[in-house]
Amino acid sequence: MLPDLAGLRGGAAILPELVLTGTVFAVLVLDLALRRSARRGRVLLLVTCLGLAAAATAIAGVSAGAQPLFYGMLVADGFALFVKGVVIAAAVVGAILAALSPEIRRDQLGEYLILLVCLTLGMCLLAGARNLLMLYLALELVSLPSYILAGFRHGDRRSSEAALKYVVFGAAASGLMLFGFSLLYGLAGTLDLPGIGAAVVARGLQGGLDAQLLVVVAVLLSLAGFAYKVAAVPFHMWCPDVYEGAPTPFVAFLSVAPKAAGFAALLRFFLSGFGAPLGFPAPGEFPWPFVLGVLAMATMTVGNLAAITQDNVKRLLAYSSIAHAGYLLMAVAVGSPLAIRGVLLYLPIYLLMNMGAFLVVMAVHDATGSETVDGFRGLGARAPYLAVVMAVFLFSLTGIPPLAGFIGKFFLFAAALQTKSMFFYAVAVVGVVNSVISLYYYARIVRACFLEKPADAQAPVRVGSPAAALLGALAVPTLVLGIWWGPLLGVVEKALLLPR
Amino acid sequence: MIPEPVRALLFYLCAGLALAGGCWVAFARNIVHSAFALLATFAGVAGLYAFLSADFLAVVQLMIYVGGVLVLILFALMLTSRIEEARVSNPTIGLVPGAVVLIAVSALLVYACVKEFGGTTDLPPGEPTTAGIGDALLSRYVLPFEVISVLLLAVLLGAVTIAGGRLRKPAPGGKPGKERP
Amino acid sequence: MEVGLTHYLLLAAAVFLVGMVGFIVRRNTLIMLMCVELMLSAANLVFVAFSRELGDEAGHVFVLMNFAVAAAEVAIGLAILMEIFRRRRSVDADDLNTLME
Repeated sequence: MLPDLAGLRGGAAILPELVLTGTVFAVLVLDLALRRSARRGRVLLLVTCLGLAAAATAIAGVSAGAQPLFYGMLVADGFALFVKGVVIAAAVVGAILAALSPEIRRDQLGEYLILLVCLTLGMCLLAGARNLLMLYLALELVSLPSYILAGFRHGDRRSSEAALKYVVFGAAASGLMLFGFSLLYGLAGTLDLPGIGAAVVARGLQGGLDAQLLVVVAVLLSLAGFAYKVAAVPFHMWCPDVYEGAPTPFVAFLSVAPKAAGFAALLRFFLSGFGAPLGFPAPGEFPWPFVLGVLAMATMTVGNLAAITQDNVKRLLAYSSIAHAGYLLMAVAVGSPLAIRGVLLYLPIYLLMNMGAFLVVMAVHDATGSETVDGFRGLGARAPYLAVVMAVFLFSLTGIPPLAGFIGKFFLFAAALQTKSMFFYAVAVVGVVNSVISLYYYARIVRACFLEKPADAQAPVRVGSPAAALLGALAVPTLVLGIWWGPLLGVVEKALLLPR
Repeated sequence: MIPEPVRALLFYLCAGLALAGGCWVAFARNIVHSAFALLATFAGVAGLYAFLSADFLAVVQLMIYVGGVLVLILFALMLTSRIEEARVSNPTIGLVPGAVVLIAVSALLVYACVKEFGGTTDLPPGEPTTAGIGDALLSRYVLPFEVISVLLLAVLLGAVTIAGGRLRKPAPGGKPGKERP
Repeated sequence: MEVGLTHYLLLAAAVFLVGMVGFIVRRNTLIMLMCVELMLSAANLVFVAFSRELGDEAGHVFVLMNFAVAAAEVAIGLAILMEIFRRRRSVDADDLNTLME
């Protein structure tokens, strides 16, 4: 008997994923074919970037729609397509960073790029997954290459240790998530997120603690996997160690793209799967907004307080990225259309400023061999361009008004205040206090750049022209979006117009 | 048809094997004992799959876990430390917080499971499942099936890359292709 | 003495908890990986039990996929472990403190 093939229709909607898979094979074959060629690195980078650009073009060509694809495994709505665009942009920057960095051995660039594209494919699938099995596999397709790439600095003990910690704790987090998924499957009798959502909502209407207890346990367990991926408390412990030990070009990518895809999956898990909670739940409903709000407060506070005492800039930025996960988690907790708009707007802005900051860290490390705040002393005199763009990125991360980071944070906080609930007022106040704290440690780096003399007479820090151009390409939008955010907001609203 | 008391006895045998093996894995002081106890757990779980008439999964569990994963772990064990060293580097610490977590979470989970599914005791009769899984993999679950092939490709490449760092000079007659010249 | 779904769920919960506690308590990376395997086995058992209860093959497919993923995870973990052990003679998590400050 032939199986029913009707569900295979809509293959055109996964064209971006197919292009990415094709890129994987193209790079794999070229990597082997050009083993002896001197220009191998350049060719591989070019092919990878072309493949990613083709995937981005394919995204533009996909007609967004909310209908399920492939027997309900995926959906290609505007929300998913927007997130895919963000992660592919991050992958392009990540590929160029890897090619520029001396931390990735030339003869291993091919493997690095292949794993990077596999990871990007996983994130694209994660953004559109509407089935627990697909969600789990996409998450693992993001995780497993990440473990390998974190250990890519060969011969460096810190890198291997970072990778080992990442894989051991990551495996435990996915174990917790899987147990949660198995309970959800039993409760709902299906793996489809909307089906599970309907079952959970029906159970919530029954009322009573007993009917809700197992759902709460299952969802909290499932949350562990997402929290690990976006580095939210209490699953953030790996983050500083991995950021410090892993190669910097990979950290720049890791801090942005998997986080974006993780938040996309988390939003879909809670909103499409569990019915949209708006504001604080009525009695008898599940307390997801409360749980996520508390997690958000804990995440931003832990991240910001721990960042204050850090001397290693990569560790400092790791804690800062934990704090940013907290701000985003606040918007997920709110879950209103305004909050989803805020998250989507924040992701590309966060990409610009965070990858930019890591690019500067990489340039300073390559020139001086230092990853500490002290290494930035006197950077204003030694490399004025680097120091100025670093200041732009850091002040944008703080959320200071004429920069893009302010706009991003503004929409997140506006979403929290719009709920008009005391609880979210409190979360927003904690967020604002945290932003003020974050100014202290971001400004410490800027002060080291401009107000402190270098410890010894150091040569000027040179930046290659590709790195300088890339920095400009990240810094200019960070400046412009702070004043003229209309077009980006337009794209986001267009993406959200379609029913999810 | 196997009579009911024998079935129950077999179930408790498999369950006991799995659970006792699990405890031994987690709390044995000797790491080699842990690895072999894992074998007992996997075998017990495979037996339970067979009990749930998941015949295909039971066989695959034995092949992949016992034949693959466990052998891999044993190799790592033999290569990383001698047995005596393993004993020293393997202390059980933090037993009190561990016990507290165990009691708290297990109470919650057991209560929830019994409350939720306490009424259902009888399972529907089992059917062979292999054909159903095959159909599902090629129709409804064809996309996950393809995704996992990409996943395995990435992992294969990654594992070779991690190991390849030290294989600068491949031994003659070794695996061709990935070693660096 | 009918064996039903509840029995399987309780057993899975017990195995899961043993694995989780082992993961928290033990410091040897290999044992921690083995404890993760216990947690995954427990989840698989729940999937198969519910699959039988519901008469639905989705749980079986999930478990089959999970076999592959778990094996891949172990392969990567052990490859990294061996890489580290080449330089140092211990696989204790507390010894992984080059990164601590």
